[in-house]
Amino acid sequence: MMSQAPQVFSAVTKPDYGGVMPNEILIDRRTLLAAFAAALALGSSRACAETLRMRDLYNKDLSFSDLAQKMENERIEVRGYMAPPLKAESRFFVLTKRPMAVCPFCETEAEWPDDILAVYTKRIIDVVPYNVPIIVEGRLKLGTFEDPETGFVSRVRTIESHYARD
Amino acid sequence: METVVFRNILLSSAALALGSTAAFAQDIVQSKSSWYTDAEAALNQRLEHQPNTNRAKNVILFIADGMGVGTNYAIRLYAGQQNGEYGSEHVLPYEAYQDFPNVALVKTYNINAQTPDSAPTAGSMNTGVKQVFNTINLSENAVHNECASEEGNKLTLFSELMSEMGKSVGVVTTARITHATPAAAYAKTANRNWEGEAPEGCTDIATQLVDQMKAGVVDIAMGGGRRYFLPETVTDEEGKKGRRKDGHNLVNEAQDAGIQYAWNTETAKALNLEGDTPVLALFEDSHMKYEHDRTEADEPSLTEMTKTAIDYLSKNDDGYYLEIESGRVDHANHDGNAFRTVTDGVEFANAVAAAAAMTNPEDTLIIVTADHEHSIALNGYCGRGSPILGLCYDIGKGQVKHADEPVLADDGKPFTVIGYLNGPGAVLKEQEDKSYSGSRPDLTEEEAEDSEYVQQALIPMSSESHSGEDVAVWARGPFAHLFDGVIEQNYIFHVMNHAANAE
Repeated sequence: MMSQAPQVFSAVTKPDYGGVMPNEILIDRRTLLAAFAAALALGSSRACAETLRMRDLYNKDLSFSDLAQKMENERIEVRGYMAPPLKAESRFFVLTKRPMAVCPFCETEAEWPDDILAVYTKRIIDVVPYNVPIIVEGRLKLGTFEDPETGFVSRVRTIESHYARD
Repeated sequence: METVVFRNILLSSAALALGSTAAFAQDIVQSKSSWYTDAEAALNQRLEHQPNTNRAKNVILFIADGMGVGTNYAIRLYAGQQNGEYGSEHVLPYEAYQDFPNVALVKTYNINAQTPDSAPTAGSMNTGVKQVFNTINLSENAVHNECASEEGNKLTLFSELMSEMGKSVGVVTTARITHATPAAAYAKTANRNWEGEAPEGCTDIATQLVDQMKAGVVDIAMGGGRRYFLPETVTDEEGKKGRRKDGHNLVNEAQDAGIQYAWNTETAKALNLEGDTPVLALFEDSHMKYEHDRTEADEPSLTEMTKTAIDYLSKNDDGYYLEIESGRVDHANHDGNAFRTVTDGVEFANAVAAAAAMTNPEDTLIIVTADHEHSIALNGYCGRGSPILGLCYDIGKGQVKHADEPVLADDGKPFTVIGYLNGPGAVLKEQEDKSYSGSRPDLTEEEAEDSEYVQQALIPMSSESHSGEDVAVWARGPFAHLFDGVIEQNYIFHVMNHAANAE
C-alpha cells in the first residue's frame, strides 16, 4: 500500500526543507481520498470502505466494538483530532474524538479521555492544531500496550499511520 | 391594542362609578385564541397561589453547573424536540408553575471576578456571603492559593447548621465529589484545586470530606473522584491509579470508621439505606460519565443517585439538607459540545422531577439553580422547530414549522442555532506561521447534530469560558416565595436558613 502512493504520504512527514514546509505539500482530504482510490484501483488490500469515527471502535463500556475486532490488523481510516503531542519530535500522537479542550479551572493536570486512539507514524509528526479535524490512515492494533519511550499506555492503536487534514 | 382598550375603559367615568374592574365584559377579538386562554389560565393560577410559610423540614439545593438562562433555553428546546414538540413551547419539570411557582434572576459574580467560577458561587449559596475567585467558603480576607490565609477566615456552612439542628446532610454530583460545587457543601479551602493534596498547614478537600463524615456532618456523599481518596501506589477497582502523595487510603479509613463504600452500580444497589450507616460512593476515578456515554452496568445516573440519597436521608425524622449537582453541563460547554450540554441537562431535569415526586412541598423546600452561565449564544432568525443542535432554518410561510432551507450567512454558508463566543470550535485556526485565520467550514444537518460536533465559535480558546450572565432560580415549598426579583447569589442561603428555622 505504502509503495503505491508514497508521493502522497511522504507529504505529511517532515522532509528536509530547512524547517519550512511549502504550503502546497499540505494535502487535503480530497487528494488523500483520490490517492486511496488510486491505490484501490491498483489492487490494494485496503479493507476500510469508509472513514470511521472513534465511537465505531469502542462500545460505550469501552470494550472493543465488533467492527474493531473484525478490522484488527487491517488498515483503517479514522476521523478525529490530534491532541497536543506529549513530546516534540515524536512518531506518536493521540487521536481524540473531540478537540481536547483543557479547562484550566476543571482540571489540575491533563485528563486523557478513555476513548482515544494512539497513532504511531512512520515519520516524525508534523503537529496539526488540536482543533483541526484530521483523517488518520493506519493498521489497527488492539490490546494494552505501554510505549517504552513515553510510558503511555494505550488499548487501541494504529501503526504505520499517515494523516491529513480532513 | 389591549393596552388601548384597557385605558379607554378606565377613562370611562361610568365604569369607575360602578366600581368595575378590567375583568368585566371587554370586547377582545383574540380572546378565544388558545394563546390568550392559556395565558388567562396562567394568570388565574397565580391569583390563587398562596405562599407557603411552613417550616422547611428538608431543603434540597439543585445546581446545574454552567446552566445559565441561555443554556437552560437550549436544554428546554432539546427536551421538547425529543418529545416531538417544536421545542420552544416545552416546559421543563422545574419550569411548570404548578410545581415550581417561584422564580428569580441571580447575579453570580464573585468578590473579585466579574466572570465567576464554580467554587465561590457554590460557596455563596452555602454560606450567605460572596467569596473570592477559586476559593471555597473563606471570608473576603482570604487570598487565593495562600494556605496561611485560611486561618481565621473559615466560614460557617449551611450543612453544619443543619447538622447541629439534627438534620442529615447529603452531597451528590456527577463531577468528582471533591470538585468545586460539591466541595462547597462541606469544605473550606484557599484553592479549589487542592482536591487530594494541600500545602503544609492546610487540608485537602478529600480529607475534609472524610473528616466531615466522621464528624457526623455529612451522611451520604455520591459522585466521582476516587483518585483523590487513594494513594499513588493503589490501583482502584477500575484499573486507575490513586493520586494521593501522602500514602493515605481514605476509602479504607472511611470504611474503618463504619462508613459504607460503593464504586459501581452493583455495589450502590447493595448499600444499606436505613439511614444509620453513612455512605461514600465514588463511581469513577475522575468525573462520572456524561449521561450519553454512561452504561447502566457501570454507574448510576444522576436521577438514580438523587433517589438513593433522598431514600437514605428521609429516614431522619428531623429532616435533611441535600445538595445535588449536575456537574458536567459545564464540562460539555467548556468543550463547545452542545450535544452533551443538553443531554446532561435533560438528565438534570429528570433528577429534579424525581426529587419533586419523592417529596412534599408542604415540608420540603426545593431550589433549582445554576452557579454561572457560559459564553454560549443563540443565533437567529430560526423558524419554529429548528433543531436546537442543528442548523437554523428559515421561518416558514403559512405557519408554523420552519422552512426547508437553512438560513445562510453572508458567506453563503448555513450555521447552527447554538454558537459559542469562544472555545475550541473557533473558526480562527492556528496557521503554520502561528498566526490565526480561517473561514467557516461548510456544514450539513447530519454533521451538526452529531454527538461529537463542536459548535462554531469566534475567539480561539482551548476551553470555552464561563460568562458573567445571570442564571435563574426556581423554587417550591416553604418560603419559596422569597425568591422574587433579581437577587444576589448569596441570598439563596438566607432563604434556605430562614425556611429551615421559621417559627
